Amino acid sequence: MIGLSFFTALFSFIAIVSGATLLVLIYLDNRNVRIDDGIANFRRHIDALSPEARQSSVHRNNQEDRRNQ
Amino acid sequence: MARDLAIDLGTANTLVYMKGKGIVLNEPSVIAVNRQSGEVLATGHDAWDMIGRTPSYIVAVRPLRGGAITDFDITERMIRLLLQRVGVSRFTRPKVVICVPSAITEVERRAVTDATRRAGASDAQLIEQPMAAAIGANLPIDEPVGNMVIDIGGGTTETAVISLGGVVALEAIRVGSFDIDAAIQSYVRREHGVAIGERTAEEIKIQIGSAEPGPQDRSADIRGRDLVTGLPKTVRLTAEEVRFAIDEPVAAMVLSVKRCLAKAPPELAQDFLARGMYLVGGGGMLRGLAARIERETEVPVKMSPQPLEAVVLGAGHCIENYQALRGMFMGTRR
Repeated sequence: MIGLSFFTALFSFIAIVSGATLLVLIYLDNRNVRIDDGIANFRRHIDALSPEARQSSVHRNNQEDRRNQ
Repeated sequence: MARDLAIDLGTANTLVYMKGKGIVLNEPSVIAVNRQSGEVLATGHDAWDMIGRTPSYIVAVRPLRGGAITDFDITERMIRLLLQRVGVSRFTRPKVVICVPSAITEVERRAVTDATRRAGASDAQLIEQPMAAAIGANLPIDEPVGNMVIDIGGGTTETAVISLGGVVALEAIRVGSFDIDAAIQSYVRREHGVAIGERTAEEIKIQIGSAEPGPQDRSADIRGRDLVTGLPKTVRLTAEEVRFAIDEPVAAMVLSVKRCLAKAPPELAQDFLARGMYLVGGGGMLRGLAARIERETEVPVKMSPQPLEAVVLGAGHCIENYQALRGMFMGTRR
């Protein structure tokens, strides 16, 4: 009876520690993803404003102008 | 499937950009309504032709003043008609990006988004006019350099310093090219005792108006109503007189540009000397205005190749890259 409760307590302890470690790892991983997301979003934002990206909108508008004329 | 739209809802003109197609509509922001029945009789060019020439039961109005909605109901109806004209039905509800002055208040901002949603848009986002103008004028705003844009519209003058995709310094005043027309009207009434309409004042501005003396200075005959006799009368106006008449609003515009320059960080200020400032908007086309700003600020001023379309082209680019540029919309920034 004592042996059983000892192992139960040990496994419970290991489960709790593993669970907590897992949660900490997930949290840290998410934090890294959020930092990377910020960089990626800013990069996307800047890339979308580059002259090359804007060329397509201007080109499309010029084509439409020519068609209307 | 609805095609998303970008709208430059200006005090003077309204332009609509359709995703994947380009600019599909460009006309004056005027609506003519029957006062008795409340029916809309005309919009755009047709309504503009009616200004000051309607019988008493018809009113042809500009529902925006100083870039802000003055009549919510009429603005909503105008936007609804615009959307219908570019093919939006009650089953196709597009996302809409609308250009608004940066000095707009929270209440005015809500009025524009509510009017657009009620007119049939599934989502309405706002973008500041100088930012849209900088994108549309093809300035290198993705680089860490100072780009300065001066947007002179019908009701507002906005000057912004933009670097790395964001606004660094901003100065906006509710003085625009309509204030120049009003100054001409007021001068002719005061000095010549003749009443003229706003369309005549605009024609004088286009024909002989200027902000700096130049070789093209001319004079023009204008017709109006004599305030004493009530009879039609013709008077001759010189370019110098017009320059004197419009000096107050022009000086206010130049002062707002100077204030924006003073707000810019020193690191970016040196870029302006090398790269210059860019002038967009219909008001920027006033003869000699670029030269006057250049003379008073000692910074080169360049005219954008498409001054009237730059704002809607910039907003159109945002609608083409909606996800990547979401952060630019007013209200989504933190």
